[in-house]
Amino acid sequence: MATRYSMQRRLRMNRPSLRLRSKPPKLRTQRGMDFTAANLVEPLAMQHCQSCRHINYPPREICGECLSDQLIWRKVPTEGVLLQSISLHHSLWEFFKRRLQRGSWPIASVRLQAGPIVFAHVAGQCFGGDAAAGARVNVFSHSDSSRQAVLIVVPVSTPIDTPAQRRAIVEPMGLLEPAVRGEQYE
Amino acid sequence: MNAGLIPSRPKSYDGVVLATPVSLGYQKQSPHGAAWFVGSALRNLLQQSGLKKHDVDGFSVSSFSLGADSTIALTQHFGISPRWLEEAPYGGASGLLALRKAARAVQMGDADIVACIGGDAAAHRSFEFTASEFSNFSIDASFPYGAGGPNAAFALITQNYMQRYHVQREDLGRIAVAQRYNANRFPLALLGHKTLSMEQYLNARLIAGPLHLFDCVMPCAGAEAFLVMSEERARFLEIPYCKLLAANELHNSHRDDDVQYRGGWTDYVGGMYELAGLGPENIDILQTYDDYPAISMLQIEDLGFCAKGEGAEFVRRTDLRFDGSGPEKNKLAHNTSGGQLSVGQAGAAAGLLGLVESIRQLTGQALGQQVTGAQHAMVSGFGMINYDRGLCSAAAILGRA
Repeated sequence: MATRYSMQRRLRMNRPSLRLRSKPPKLRTQRGMDFTAANLVEPLAMQHCQSCRHINYPPREICGECLSDQLIWRKVPTEGVLLQSISLHHSLWEFFKRRLQRGSWPIASVRLQAGPIVFAHVAGQCFGGDAAAGARVNVFSHSDSSRQAVLIVVPVSTPIDTPAQRRAIVEPMGLLEPAVRGEQYE
Repeated sequence: MNAGLIPSRPKSYDGVVLATPVSLGYQKQSPHGAAWFVGSALRNLLQQSGLKKHDVDGFSVSSFSLGADSTIALTQHFGISPRWLEEAPYGGASGLLALRKAARAVQMGDADIVACIGGDAAAHRSFEFTASEFSNFSIDASFPYGAGGPNAAFALITQNYMQRYHVQREDLGRIAVAQRYNANRFPLALLGHKTLSMEQYLNARLIAGPLHLFDCVMPCAGAEAFLVMSEERARFLEIPYCKLLAANELHNSHRDDDVQYRGGWTDYVGGMYELAGLGPENIDILQTYDDYPAISMLQIEDLGFCAKGEGAEFVRRTDLRFDGSGPEKNKLAHNTSGGQLSVGQAGAAAGLLGLVESIRQLTGQALGQQVTGAQHAMVSGFGMINYDRGLCSAAAILGRA
């Protein structure tokens, strides 16, 4: 009987919509976890190829340019050009579903000056109106409430030099605390 | 590319035919595992062709939901002993990639009759799981950004495409609305019992960026399958068949484009038309991979039906219905079964949808929406949003026997 109860309970608790506190996706690959670790100490860090100097992203095992495996985590310039930005109105993930009840969730793709194309959460409050294609932007990393590094895009004029400045940008976005069940209705 | 040599082109597919189109099991959710869908498709292939299990000596499977299994596990499950084995889980390009390899196996004698099967299960919340672990790049760099699944990448691609070529939502809607018209006559289409008007399309709820509900496919369970064999054998067995006139594929092409607005087709479609001795004007049926309408439009351009950037203009003046009943003067039967937008997207099996439907059309076995007098069909595949863009491109031209 006890077994049956606990199985029922486990199945019940496994339904994300019933969880009290939901968080952004935590799952990362091994190299993805390295990305989080490297970004704890830098505004933005990515894998530099030791043999061809190519800067690689998403995190990987092998350089996408010369196939070398000598990739080391180093600081990357944060400047880039915004390719496109969109607002999400639908998500498969409970954390974002709850956040979406407050309004749409903006994300963007950015071509970094360093080379890679990245997806990033848009710090909507820093952009006056829509983040337009072609805009010059800064991309930096910050830990979300799942303790994983995610990328944030802000206008190039927004100061992001200190950890305090970056935290002040991310805090109002709702990424730093879990989405609590029922809270959005208050 | 061979260093210093001119890259070769695919040689003729002479003598290779496709037969026995099978589609089954379309359901929004199903308690069955992927093996049920693949196995049921194999059973139907045998029933429909009159062949025995041991006659099928090549076995190709496309699926995202096999779990711990791979194609080899299914041979023991189904009690078959193929001498040629293939696994092609390449999303929207699955069917075409499987076909190209099967065709060469048949030409070279590596196999006599190849069963190409796509089958995918859809358990409760399984799409969430597939989306969250689709690829290493997506786990680290796209899934954490909220959308989950390909909607975000495609919203960015669609918005970029619409801005770049001044495409209106109505233009994309024409594709979705015409496909629903086709699906209304296709019994397996999961959304075939509902009509779709342009107003409904335009007023649908927002999903991401410019994408609204009817721009997105519905994940579902289902299976698609066909046989590849020599023309001689098909004739001997008296199975209706159609011919493979040309096919090609190219992956991760145009990789320096900031946002995807074209696919690998631009590199090889000319050679395909040359090999088939045809041009776009000779194609009666076009089956594009329609995970989103803008992607179909992009294929219409890249496959040479109009110049780049003129896709919107093309669909404005072209009737895309299977029966040519629309008011537009130019006619092109497009996604005659309703495509994934109306049938549903059965994982990797969706990559066989257009191919199987084309075999039905060219052998006169359509399930209710027969295109009259169709001689040639073109099928195109696009697939695998590994990170920010679709990587696979493939296409084939089929001809009535």
